[in-house]
Amino acid sequence: MRRTYLGEFEEIVLLTVAVLGEGAYGVSITNELDEQSGRSVSLSAVHAALHRLEEKGMLSSYLGDATAERGGRRKRLFSVTTQGSQILHEIRSVRERLWNAIPPNSLPSIAFDL
Amino acid sequence: MSAKLPHPPRWADWLLESFCAPHLLEEIQGDLYERFQRQVNLFGVRSARQQYAWAVLSFVKPFALKRRPNPYPTTISTRLAMISNYFKIAWRNILRNKISSLINLTGLTLGISACLVIGVITSFELSYDTFHPDADRIYRVVGTVKFNNTANEEPIGFIPRAIPAALRSETRGFEIVASFHNLESGVIIPGGKQEDKVFKGRDMDQEPARIVLADPQYFEVFSYTWLAGNPKTALNTPNQVVLSEKQARLYFGNLPLAKILGKEVVYRDSIRTAVSGIVKDWVQNSDFTFTDFISLATIGASALKREINLNEWNDIWSASQTFVKLNKGSTEDKALAELAAFGKRHFGPDRGTGEFRFAPGLQPLSDLHFNAAYMDNFSRKAHLPTLYGLIGIAVFILLIAAINFINLSTAQSVRRSREVGVRKALGSNRSNLIGQFMSETLILTIGSMLIAMLLAKPILFAFRSFIPAGVNFSFFNLNILGSILSIGSITVFLAGFYPALVLSAFRPAVALKGSGNNRRQQRGYLRKGLIVFQFAVSLLFIISTLIVGRQLSFIRNKDLGFSADAVISINTLHDEKSTVLAQKIKQVAAVERVAMEWCAPLNDRYMLNKLIYKGDEIKELEASIKIGDENYLPLYQLQLVAGRNMRQSDTLSELVVNESLAKSFGFSPADQALGKLLNLNGRNYPIVGVVKNFHETSLHASIKPTVIAYLDFMAKDIAVKLNTKGKQMRDVEPILADIKKAWTAVYPDEVFNYSFLDDVIQKLYSREQKTAQLVNTASAIAILISCLGLLGLATFTAEQRTKEIGVRKVLGASITSIIALLSKDFILLILISIVVASPIAWWGMKQWLNNFAYHVAIEWWVFLLAGVMAISIALLTVSFQSIKAAMKNPAESLKSE
Repeated sequence: MRRTYLGEFEEIVLLTVAVLGEGAYGVSITNELDEQSGRSVSLSAVHAALHRLEEKGMLSSYLGDATAERGGRRKRLFSVTTQGSQILHEIRSVRERLWNAIPPNSLPSIAFDL
Repeated sequence: MSAKLPHPPRWADWLLESFCAPHLLEEIQGDLYERFQRQVNLFGVRSARQQYAWAVLSFVKPFALKRRPNPYPTTISTRLAMISNYFKIAWRNILRNKISSLINLTGLTLGISACLVIGVITSFELSYDTFHPDADRIYRVVGTVKFNNTANEEPIGFIPRAIPAALRSETRGFEIVASFHNLESGVIIPGGKQEDKVFKGRDMDQEPARIVLADPQYFEVFSYTWLAGNPKTALNTPNQVVLSEKQARLYFGNLPLAKILGKEVVYRDSIRTAVSGIVKDWVQNSDFTFTDFISLATIGASALKREINLNEWNDIWSASQTFVKLNKGSTEDKALAELAAFGKRHFGPDRGTGEFRFAPGLQPLSDLHFNAAYMDNFSRKAHLPTLYGLIGIAVFILLIAAINFINLSTAQSVRRSREVGVRKALGSNRSNLIGQFMSETLILTIGSMLIAMLLAKPILFAFRSFIPAGVNFSFFNLNILGSILSIGSITVFLAGFYPALVLSAFRPAVALKGSGNNRRQQRGYLRKGLIVFQFAVSLLFIISTLIVGRQLSFIRNKDLGFSADAVISINTLHDEKSTVLAQKIKQVAAVERVAMEWCAPLNDRYMLNKLIYKGDEIKELEASIKIGDENYLPLYQLQLVAGRNMRQSDTLSELVVNESLAKSFGFSPADQALGKLLNLNGRNYPIVGVVKNFHETSLHASIKPTVIAYLDFMAKDIAVKLNTKGKQMRDVEPILADIKKAWTAVYPDEVFNYSFLDDVIQKLYSREQKTAQLVNTASAIAILISCLGLLGLATFTAEQRTKEIGVRKVLGASITSIIALLSKDFILLILISIVVASPIAWWGMKQWLNNFAYHVAIEWWVFLLAGVMAISIALLTVSFQSIKAAMKNPAESLKSE
């Protein structure tokens, strides 16, 4: 099977879904991304990414509860599928392999504040 | 609770709902709402609403736009099956509702026929001279003319004969300047040893102009295909003629074209020309109907030089025309500026043209066929307002027919609601249903289109008096097929779309329950509005018919101030022999009186002349002048109010004037005018009589100051008053035969032409008579279609209310009260349409009547009469059904449930 390509933004969204666990849906993911990465993300971009990820089979979803502030509309809650998890792990192991392979002092040093 | 929450902008919500895929809408909108509430808390309502709108816009992305595919896709085979099912059901429905189908078919057929025929006529008229290469650069040189200081400036379609040559040498804005002169002449083809072939001159009223004297440049402005001869030299020398192919065939039969070159053609008995070229006839519509192009140089080499002076600056002749082609890239304004300078150079004080003034201008070729202000001797003018009127009529008739369709189908929609319910329950969606209902309209429209195409020829034949010669209808013309298809599709859309929309909108649950429809009330208003529109249009036509008819009978019966009864006008050759002819005619029995004249008191032409009166102050006046001898007044029974008739004389010695002239010069009462001297053409003549005002032009214009004088050299036409007392039309024939005998004795070689003055006068109003015929037909059709629609609706209402009527009758309602119940709705609608139509008709008719200096008043009772007519026609239509419904035995109508 051809390995599915995952874009950088998609990867972050997928990770955020994993972080949020049970309560991952459009607004919560957007807010979490805002807080964690500090970059302003538009709701529509998140929806588009979620939609793509679901099509690629890395997310599954179901319709959850409705609230008054949503005008009585239900939210779509997302969770990471096995395939999604596999991809995340693959990406992580590739990165770790690469990190480990970097010779000491080959990266210019940067100062840590904390 | 949710009501207290601030709301995002509604338009943004609406936008989102309209573009977002339905399966994604809930989650997306929910998320947006949630975020909105958060932003209200963080930034306030205003900012939150703004951000909401932006967020909605940012969702215009492929993933949100894309619809989920239908899980049950339709295949070609099922689609075909459904379509054939639509047509089957449609056909059954048409058969089931025979009356309304027939009404719709009739209405649509009439509407489409009207559109088709009128379309053919208008496209014919609009196609004139559109095919010339560089047509947008071709202009006719026209202008405004002022003959003397007292004359009015008039627009004129022809220019002094010296101008074309001067334009060529003095201006640089024109690529080509071409001129031609229309020539009226018979043609002789010398036969050598055989007999000569002789062709008569054309009948100016019936046949197009054929012969022109043209310079070589004519063929540079207008492009012809040359079949024989050399275009470069064909018109360069005197006595050459270029013929069109058809004309060459007419003159010389089937000779090979090359052999026709050099053959002799004789014009006016003495102008001998040799054929130097043959060109192909144009197949497209054109006002340039010429077939014989004689070289312009022929003028100088023949007797024509006495008639056509090419160096003349101070007069104009309608036969002499000039066309120019502007330089490439030049504009009309530039050319006009150059022409204005040219005009200033040649016309003005001390330019050798006396008081004659001329300001040249340009008329685009596309305007030639329509602008009646610029008259000439060859083009046939189409009246644009009439064309627009025709288009308007066609559109209105089609609209009325479409409205019938809409009304009848929506009225019957309740009947079909169950069918719609079942179809929807079984999985039809709205667009399928719209397709189904449209297919019904399509069947009817196709039927009407076919009938209309069959009817087109008979209609064109029936109305041939209106229709310019050359209009043709053929089934296999691409333009006609294209236009009928577009008329058809417009009709299908107009008539079918709304009913389809209404019918397909039923909710299956409601429809199947059988409780009708909750939008019924609203639809009733639409239907009523459409009926009002239909009848307003019909009333508009009825009122116009009445007023146009009244004006025409006013024209017929108006006392013209003279008698045209049993008067024949005979045009002579204007030579000395005309007096002899008059003497001979005088001897014919049953001829009461004969006068020598130039033109009857009222005719299609008139002449203006300057009169000067030197009293206390010098007064000048532009007067209409009629030429006649001492028999003129008694023959036309012009009534003297003062003085006497002029005495017999060989030259001009006395004048008779009309009251208007006397008043304009300040002679009042009229007998003050007697003995006063008026200066005409430089000499003084006494006024000996004053006649009552008479109409000397059509009723379009008011009566001008007029003088009647005897100018022996002009009084060459003959008016004959017949004694027809106690005689019938067939008794006139022998008298005419006797007069003809007298004519042949004097002019053995000329054709005897005469006209009854009555007919000539009637012809002045031929356009109005056509208008009358047109509005009569239009109103008949409009009323017919509207009433058909009304009939259909009435039938339907009566049918629907059968039970109600039964119950009412059982409870004691009288037949009259039931008829009133069923009719009063319609009457109310027609009353409303009277109110709507009257002011529009009043305004339109006022515009039309303003064409006449003398016209009838628009009286209030005309509107009343039209209203009463409309109401009675409608009542007649409706009552048939309502009486039938009211008479029905209630036991019959109530027994079944």
